[in-house]
Amino acid sequence: MLCDRCKIREAKVLYTEIINGAKTEQHLCEECAADYTSFQMEKPLFNSELTLNSLLSTLLGAYQGGTQSKPEVKKSGLVCDNCKTTFEEFLQRGRFGCAQCYKSFYSEIENILRSIHGAQAHTGKRPKGFVSSGEKIFKNLSEEERLTLELQQAIEKEEFEEAARLRDLIRSLKKEESKNA
Amino acid sequence: MLKWYEQSVPDGDVVISSRVRLARNLEGYKFSPLLKESEAVKLVDEVKGITSALAEQDNRKYYSCNLKSLSEIDKAAMVERHIVSPLLVEKEQATGLILSDDETVSIMINEEDHVRIQAIVGGLNLEEAYDIANRIDDIAYEKLRFAYDEKYGYITSCPTNVGTGMRASCMVFLPALSAARLINKLIEEVGRYGVTIRGIYGEGTKSMGSIYQISNQKTLGNSEKEIIQNLNRIVDQVIKQERKRREYMLSVNADEIENQVYRSYGILKYARQISSSDAMTLLSQIKFGMDTGLIKFDREFNVHKLMMGIQPGCLQWALGKSVGSTTRDKARAEYISKELPNIVEKTE
Repeated sequence: MLCDRCKIREAKVLYTEIINGAKTEQHLCEECAADYTSFQMEKPLFNSELTLNSLLSTLLGAYQGGTQSKPEVKKSGLVCDNCKTTFEEFLQRGRFGCAQCYKSFYSEIENILRSIHGAQAHTGKRPKGFVSSGEKIFKNLSEEERLTLELQQAIEKEEFEEAARLRDLIRSLKKEESKNA
Repeated sequence: MLKWYEQSVPDGDVVISSRVRLARNLEGYKFSPLLKESEAVKLVDEVKGITSALAEQDNRKYYSCNLKSLSEIDKAAMVERHIVSPLLVEKEQATGLILSDDETVSIMINEEDHVRIQAIVGGLNLEEAYDIANRIDDIAYEKLRFAYDEKYGYITSCPTNVGTGMRASCMVFLPALSAARLINKLIEEVGRYGVTIRGIYGEGTKSMGSIYQISNQKTLGNSEKEIIQNLNRIVDQVIKQERKRREYMLSVNADEIENQVYRSYGILKYARQISSSDAMTLLSQIKFGMDTGLIKFDREFNVHKLMMGIQPGCLQWALGKSVGSTTRDKARAEYISKELPNIVEKTE
């Protein structure tokens, strides 16, 4: 049986109202029942999911400088080009639309993540074989550039014997290069 | 192979189980709310495709299924046994499950994230739970392209899970602390260390039979090992506090507590009808009595296994059919009476 009020959802509640002796009965769905009466269907999982979501979006909004008394948060104009989720939609739902959103909203989410986690970068597990862009750059360096970097690190760590060894290596490399040239 | 809830375990008087969950998402699919049904079906199939690789590389048997193919009773029973989350079974979209025969490993497909790998072991043993989940993650990664960002780590649908994507949790039995109304204070205290305490079936659920879940809140910034170390320290403290409180209760009120334990046994053994919430309260008294040595039985007996078995879904699953609450209450009473071992009288 469909709900007497919205005529869309399945009726789950029989609501009897007696006003001045006149009795009326209505079959209502959960949503209309919650709306129309003080009745609350006991469904803790669903309710809590909702409150958690709204809590999260309030928090997310607050990180952006928006407060409840001032609902018009200034529009960032950010849209994810992959899934078309706008930054405002993300704030509202508390969920990203796709993995690309992290890049699309890059300028905004750093503060959000710092507020939630007190950190802004991952330090844990990496998938097997994952090469970070820093490592990629390091890989593509010439022998000489790599040695120069290592030399700098050695000096910072005050490992002067290692630094001297690296300096000599770089010198001999340079000599060879000038010979070849 | 014994299931996690059938083994005797370290610190079992307070910690019932340890669980690690890893959230992963696949490149090339949008997150669940934006996924079309056809894409959801494709996602579920693709992830289910790792089942044979799991069976080859991990020495457990694995099964996979679409949640749609299961009956409501099956689903409810799996929620009650912590194999799947309430969210997964409520979803309208295509969802799937890969499960090991010992119920240690379960992989939820298209829950809030595309893939949620879960490993659960008995007692306080978060390291082992992580090792298992981590190995499964490695095997899965050979076949599936998980979204990973150099800076933010594993990408998740909700910003509260990004980074490690890991939620580590312990299911704890805290009768003495809850009797002393100290749980709220405890929640406040552990909150300062980035740890939360929640009801037995996760977010927003109520506690039953003094059972709670303690888990890490933050997933970004600390490594998996650090998160587990931190949680271990907190759980250790909770164990100490609970044990101290139990000792105190016994020192001031032993006769009354013993009376309650034996009365609970009497009701559970001889009731003809019993609701699940009543049974949970009384069984938690029995567990308390066993842990503190007030009551002894003539054989090994796992209270928590019985606690899961008497939940509406599991009970109907055992009956093989869906029945009304009165019939359930009768069946529950009969089941408990049969499962409860006999008391060994104390020799003074």
